[in-house]
Amino acid sequence: MPTAVKHQRELGDDLQVIFVECQGADRDTYEAFAWKMKWMGNAAMWTDERPFATTGSGLPETALIGVDGTLLMQGHPGMLGKKLTEAIEAEIEKSKKPPESAPGELKKAWTLFHKGEVAAAIAECEKVQHEQSEATKAEFESRTIARVQRLGRMIDEGHLFEAEKQLAALEKSVKANAELAAKVAEQSARLAEPDMAREREASKAVSALLDKLATEKPFDEGSVKKVNALAEKYKGTKSGERAARFVQLSKIKIGA
Amino acid sequence: MKLLLVPVVAASLALSGLALLRSAVPTEAVGAKVDYRFSTAPVNALGLKSLAELRGKPVLVDFWGTR
Repeated sequence: MPTAVKHQRELGDDLQVIFVECQGADRDTYEAFAWKMKWMGNAAMWTDERPFATTGSGLPETALIGVDGTLLMQGHPGMLGKKLTEAIEAEIEKSKKPPESAPGELKKAWTLFHKGEVAAAIAECEKVQHEQSEATKAEFESRTIARVQRLGRMIDEGHLFEAEKQLAALEKSVKANAELAAKVAEQSARLAEPDMAREREASKAVSALLDKLATEKPFDEGSVKKVNALAEKYKGTKSGERAARFVQLSKIKIGA
Repeated sequence: MKLLLVPVVAASLALSGLALLRSAVPTEAVGAKVDYRFSTAPVNALGLKSLAELRGKPVLVDFWGTR
């Protein structure tokens, strides 16, 4: 199993792993391959679009991007070894603390933000008289708006089960900020629409089954039958389509 | 004999991998700020469109091959 899958499973939401297929396999093939290898069922994402090229000497190649978007290291994961693990741990640590460049007056605002108390963090920026107050507040707002927009796209794509989990956290964190709370409320209203009920039910059922099968025997006949039953039951929903796609992926002969 | 074959096979694999990695994608140096907007959402993206949206969280990019 790739080390990156282990990192994603162990570190959960603290880290985002993105797998980039570089040998020309199409989306169906690499996704089927990942299912077959039991690498799915976690937060890792899979693409064949390279965000940037590597400078290493072959595959696999790993690159670590830090919390501020800086490329920190790259190379063969085996060669980076412990250095990579330590760098990931250091970045996770950093992600929970105010940035080193943050002035002392705004450290409390950053601490609140990292605790998920966005409204309180913004209020703290407004209270503190510092030349960086406005920029810090803008940073909190833009990161939160990005989360709300992503939540909207999750709803568009039919990932309602996952969207609801995000929504609960967001509602709590922006409650005392009218502007952000209104943006979150828009998404909340979409989720509450009556025609979302079946989609919500489908999302919950399909996500739960696929997550369970991911590390067991995803493409065994029995597993595929169960997923196919959900695809039939929830035909016409986005999650039903997701289940049907899984069934199609299970038919792909890897290496053929 | 086996011991001699190991470095030869490893070097061949590394070279073939290197050839596959060559592309028109810009190379970023360590220390550079990186961003990328995906033209097609990755599998399991859950609404994510760009690396910039992950600011505040470390990102591990794993370049690999199915074959």
